[in-house]
Amino acid sequence: MNVLSRDWLLSEDPETRAQAKLGQFYRVVRALSRNPLAMVGLAIIIALLLVAAFASWIAPYSPFEGSLQNRLQPPSVAHWMGTDELGRDIYSRVIHGARITLMIVLLVAVIAAPLGLIVGAVSGYFGGWVDRVLMGVTDVFLSMPRLILALAFVAALGPGIENAVIAIAITAWPVYARIARAETLTFRTAEFIAAVQMQGASHARVIWRHVIPLCLSSTIVRVTLDMAGIILTAAGLGFLGLGAQPPMPEWGAMISRGRAFILDQWWVATMPGFAIVIVSLGFCLFGDGLRDVLDPKQKVKS
Amino acid sequence: MSLLRVENLRVRFPTDQGEVEVVKGLSIDLGRERLGIVGESGSGKSMTGRALMGLIGPPGRVTADRLEFDGIDLRGLSESGFRKLRGARMSMVMQDPKFSLNPVIRIGEQIGEALQFHQRLPARARRRAVMEVLEAVRINDPERVYRLYPHEVSGGMGQRVMIAMMVVLQPDLMIADEPTSALDVSVRATVLEILDDLVRRRGMGLILISHDLDMVARWCDRILVMYAGKVVEECAAGDLHAATHPYTRGLLASVPQLNETRTRLPVLDRDAIGAGT
Amino acid sequence: MIGIEDLTVSFNGTPVVHGVSFQVGRGESFALVGESGSGKSTILKAIAGQAHEWTGSIRVGGDAMGRRRDAAFVRRVQMVFQDPYGSLHPRRTVDDTLSEPLAVHRIAGRDGKVLAMLDAVGLSRRFRFRLPHQLSGGQRQRVAIARALMLEPGVLLLDEPTSALDVSVQAEILNLLADLRAERGLTYLLVTHDLPIVSFLCDRLGVLRLGRLEEISEVAELRTGQLYSAYGRELVARSAGG
Repeated sequence: MNVLSRDWLLSEDPETRAQAKLGQFYRVVRALSRNPLAMVGLAIIIALLLVAAFASWIAPYSPFEGSLQNRLQPPSVAHWMGTDELGRDIYSRVIHGARITLMIVLLVAVIAAPLGLIVGAVSGYFGGWVDRVLMGVTDVFLSMPRLILALAFVAALGPGIENAVIAIAITAWPVYARIARAETLTFRTAEFIAAVQMQGASHARVIWRHVIPLCLSSTIVRVTLDMAGIILTAAGLGFLGLGAQPPMPEWGAMISRGRAFILDQWWVATMPGFAIVIVSLGFCLFGDGLRDVLDPKQKVKS
Repeated sequence: MSLLRVENLRVRFPTDQGEVEVVKGLSIDLGRERLGIVGESGSGKSMTGRALMGLIGPPGRVTADRLEFDGIDLRGLSESGFRKLRGARMSMVMQDPKFSLNPVIRIGEQIGEALQFHQRLPARARRRAVMEVLEAVRINDPERVYRLYPHEVSGGMGQRVMIAMMVVLQPDLMIADEPTSALDVSVRATVLEILDDLVRRRGMGLILISHDLDMVARWCDRILVMYAGKVVEECAAGDLHAATHPYTRGLLASVPQLNETRTRLPVLDRDAIGAGT
Repeated sequence: MIGIEDLTVSFNGTPVVHGVSFQVGRGESFALVGESGSGKSTILKAIAGQAHEWTGSIRVGGDAMGRRRDAAFVRRVQMVFQDPYGSLHPRRTVDDTLSEPLAVHRIAGRDGKVLAMLDAVGLSRRFRFRLPHQLSGGQRQRVAIARALMLEPGVLLLDEPTSALDVSVQAEILNLLADLRAERGLTYLLVTHDLPIVSFLCDRLGVLRLGRLEEISEVAELRTGQLYSAYGRELVARSAGG
């Protein structure tokens, strides 16, 4: 058998479960690879991953130590992005900041998305008072502006990067719950759900194996699109001094410090700003492409 | 004089596996008569109707050697050109009134809108025209129905409203795509009667598209049977049961009868038909 | 096999089925016919345990049914739904769909059973790992029938099983249902608005109108147009008239 050839993957009549799963995966990847903007997004995300993984090797200087003689140098060959008010190399700090950004983004996604997904699916599946209670709680969270709510939580928990992550996650899940619920409602009364119920499957099994997989793609898409927002919220908390604490090279905090010199030494605030914009854009583009490929509603139209 | 002349109509759609032709060279010469197009899903019957109305947008492509409606060449007609024709000269009744009526506009106003778009009438004359057309589709209390929203009427009533909307401008050609398949059996006959009555009285041409052989045979003068994008049989409605093509014959035989005593129904041999055409 | 006594079913407090009684014998094929709104599907849902607001008695194989359906019930009674496009999970392969009931009931030997069932419903084994959107309407309905038979029930509830299919495909599915019944001695309770299908597939029929049973007759009487209720004859006339 010609394992892993293109025809084998695209076969309409796979012979094993593994081949069928791989084939489906390959189709998604192939469809995605035909979208140039999504590929740009993916390249940015991969670059972010690589930079975060190899930060210590890539960065030419230490992100924490600088010499005060070199403070507030404009971009030059020695310091590509210039130096900040303590003489630290901004380029090195931005590179190390990628780690923090990535950690925030991943932790938030890992905490918020499953939580929202489960709350939404349970709420939509059962309906009735379960739905009213869960959605009531969700609405309370949704009704407050995200940054303000995160601010309140950080203020209560104390400043710091871990607390910022928790606060952002707490403010992020209601959106996913709403999406998962809306998605669940569209097929809650569908016959394929009735059919598994009729086969004696428990509610937990129906939700876990039949409802959640259908909500998954729209949630994944939404999470990718939200990444930009999460980065910005984290940056916002950092900017307000409630997120990462100095001397950690978090991008938002760096902008916050650079604000003091924005008129005379523009690069101090601008360089981490660029990093935020590019990474946010990367997630947005990739999320958009992913939506085109995964969203079943779009698929129906084509 | 013929109302609609179509020669070698082709409709193509690009897919992952290359271009797919869903209508493969269809020709029609339609006068002011009732033509039925029968076929199963995927036969291209609905695509034919949509192509005639200019409703196939990119990436679909429509080509024909001749595509004339009342002397007007429809090939290469712009979207705005089609918009002037649609409703006023040719109109289409769709399958399900639920999806064809705007749910937040009152029925009377929706029908009046078409009038407003095509002919500038004073409000009172417009209202009178709407009332007349509602009566024409046998709605007993047009005053009440005028003020209702689409969700407040039944399926059969909704479909009558659709028909009213389509005939208010007195078009010359009406295309009805499965106009009754979303309706209950009991109201199907009424809706078809109304349609038939309007077509006869106003001397319109009708193209009735359906999967239901019996229904088309009953309400049309002439029948085209489509299979896999091609017309495989063309005959007068009365001669349907003398059809010769194996597909038509197979289709007729596979329908169970009310006094059914066969223990197995004959099944279409698709391979044989595919080879035959 | 199925005994319905004075069944009244409501939706949100409004009764839609009023005091319906009928019996279906073991191995018999019984049809409930009527127009939409006649309550025919609602009766099926009540038996299947999908509609909960009902009074009266529902017996399956002699056992009275409560509000909840247990594992023994689902292994005895299964359902085939109307819409083959809506009754299969869009993201699960044929194999997933057919294995699921075996997994729920912890039945071993899945691979063999799935393949045997594909053969039984006349689906090529190469369709085993396809997703629903890669199948035609008729093939999907075969999958739905196969799924219903995985637990080897004695009773199939058929809710308009061919109304969403093309006529030529309908013939294939009707043949399949007739064959399966003969092979496995299945009991059918069929809901439909299409009288010729009843003629082909059933032994007896009940005519429903606005939630009330108008009459119960032999199919022979349907074939000769000798239904005794006025409404039954009206349905026959309408069906003959196209």
